[in-house]
Amino acid sequence: MSKPKPAALPAGTVVGGYHIVRKLAAGGFGVVYLAQDPQQQWVALKEYLPASLAERASGELAPRVKPDKLPLYRLGLKSFFEEGRSLAQIAHPSVVSVLNFFRENETVYMVMNYLQGDTLQDFVITARDLKREKVLRESTIRSLFDEILRGLRIVHQHKMLHLDIKPANIFITNDNRAVMLDFGAAREVLTKEGDFVRPMYTPGFAAPEMYRRDGALGPWTDIYAIGACLYACMHGYPPSDAPTRIDKDRLDATLARMRSTYSDNLLEVTQWCMALDPLSRPQSVFALHKELAHESERRYSTLSLADRIKLQLESLKGGAR
Amino acid sequence: MRFGLYQLSRKGGRAKNEDRMGYCYTRASGLFAVADGMGGHPEGEVAAQMALQTLAASFQRDARPALAQPVAHLEDALLAAHHQLLRYATERALIDTPRTTAVACVIQNQTVHWAYCGDSRLYLVRHGRLLVHTRDHSYSQLQESLSRLAVPGGQPVNRSVLFTCLGSPGRPIIDIGGPITLQTGDRLLLCSDGLWATLKDEEIVSGLSQRTLAEAVPALVDEALRRGGARADNTTALAIEWEAQHAATPARDDLDDDSFASTIQASLETDSVALDEADIERSIREINEAIARSHTRRGRT
Repeated sequence: MSKPKPAALPAGTVVGGYHIVRKLAAGGFGVVYLAQDPQQQWVALKEYLPASLAERASGELAPRVKPDKLPLYRLGLKSFFEEGRSLAQIAHPSVVSVLNFFRENETVYMVMNYLQGDTLQDFVITARDLKREKVLRESTIRSLFDEILRGLRIVHQHKMLHLDIKPANIFITNDNRAVMLDFGAAREVLTKEGDFVRPMYTPGFAAPEMYRRDGALGPWTDIYAIGACLYACMHGYPPSDAPTRIDKDRLDATLARMRSTYSDNLLEVTQWCMALDPLSRPQSVFALHKELAHESERRYSTLSLADRIKLQLESLKGGAR
Repeated sequence: MRFGLYQLSRKGGRAKNEDRMGYCYTRASGLFAVADGMGGHPEGEVAAQMALQTLAASFQRDARPALAQPVAHLEDALLAAHHQLLRYATERALIDTPRTTAVACVIQNQTVHWAYCGDSRLYLVRHGRLLVHTRDHSYSQLQESLSRLAVPGGQPVNRSVLFTCLGSPGRPIIDIGGPITLQTGDRLLLCSDGLWATLKDEEIVSGLSQRTLAEAVPALVDEALRRGGARADNTTALAIEWEAQHAATPARDDLDDDSFASTIQASLETDSVALDEADIERSIREINEAIARSHTRRGRT
């Protein structure tokens, strides 16, 4: 089933009045370019070009879609529109904003703010490679998620779920804003009917209900992913995926090992968000935000000798993450 | 579970394509199916579509992630499709029921099982040789089988007349096959009679064994259509190449691997809720209106 990826448009191409400078990224749904608008402003231009369904030889403009791929192509286009629609309704500094949407070359393009900076994933990896006790500082984590949760509240208020929150989709701009990207998986909660294609998910960040076809998705699903992001910021690595956790859960042990490095409150909030049972998690971003913002004084508990021995034994038994 | 797959369906010289094909899979199990809606009865394409839809829905319900009993599952799913067709006809007070053939196979645990009703076929080819193909539920096939038992044959019969199918008044006959343990490089073909009625078995086998699936399948279908001429039948082929039970490395492209995927429901969309040109234009307009509204709002704050 492997086939060559469709070719990106070369630098210098002009689409819809936007001048392509270079390719920034390519994902399952398409290609993102750095481009300049007619006023010479930088923008990010996202082209709908699903790698598995469309073909484009280099030098061509319009992608070709085989007739048998057309239904899926059109279905994907629907999701692309949904992303556009979600983003268009939300005007919030923590949610990437969409500036224009147009049709050309027999496909569609979404124009977004071009953000300069790095993803949270880049930050976590850099920090973790320093091999310090703390991956990110607690105050950094708290202020970062304070912003993210403000944005997510707005998203949920619009009856939408992000469904693919992960450090790679959280962008930290050079002027120090946290912005959520990639609403490609975003779905309106209300249009449950006909929701045939389950959103793709990222292991480690996807809640257990994302793996089940009948699982009820809700704000709690995004909240699980937030918990997993908190975990990654403290631990440096993503948590085990939900099926592994259901089989054998090491979350509590790993979090316990981080006591005294991070405050009890932050660890507890992470644990709360990442409860396998959706009902045991914060049921709304509001509830979570309140808990995270309300920080009286940070309490750090040290491990008792018994706890430490228990943990050491655990890690000797292997597979310590 | 790793396999290659290529599927192709062409209308040929007919007004409509009443063939349907599709597959769905979890990480542990895959279902592949072809259905050929029958002419001479109402709404052949609806029948084929419903058969596939029912197969996919049953699979989606039961494969968690593998099927406990693949054979029973296939039989039940085909029977469920049959009942769906009867119900469809009753609800709409149709004089006749839409009918379809269907062939479906399940691959899991490196083993293939199949079930079919009618004359859509399954071929299994190993090392360039035909390992097995299904026996059609047609009078000609019956006569051929009987003549092998040295029973004096009667008049040559029309090959296309089936004695069972889904949606027929009597309970359909469902034949099952397998299990066969797959080896790397084994190729399976599910096809409608548009393909096998115009090509000889040897041609299908050699065509399927040579080249990649992406080249072999279109070549077979094109050849069948060419020979079928101006009145060529709907021709559908879905081919699978078995690679390995375990993927060597998980795909980095966070796309699938673990997820459930299906082409069948998506192809349902073509008939019901596909986006047409007007929808696309309207969506773009709505999005731009929303952008404008958000910007004014932001401008004010």
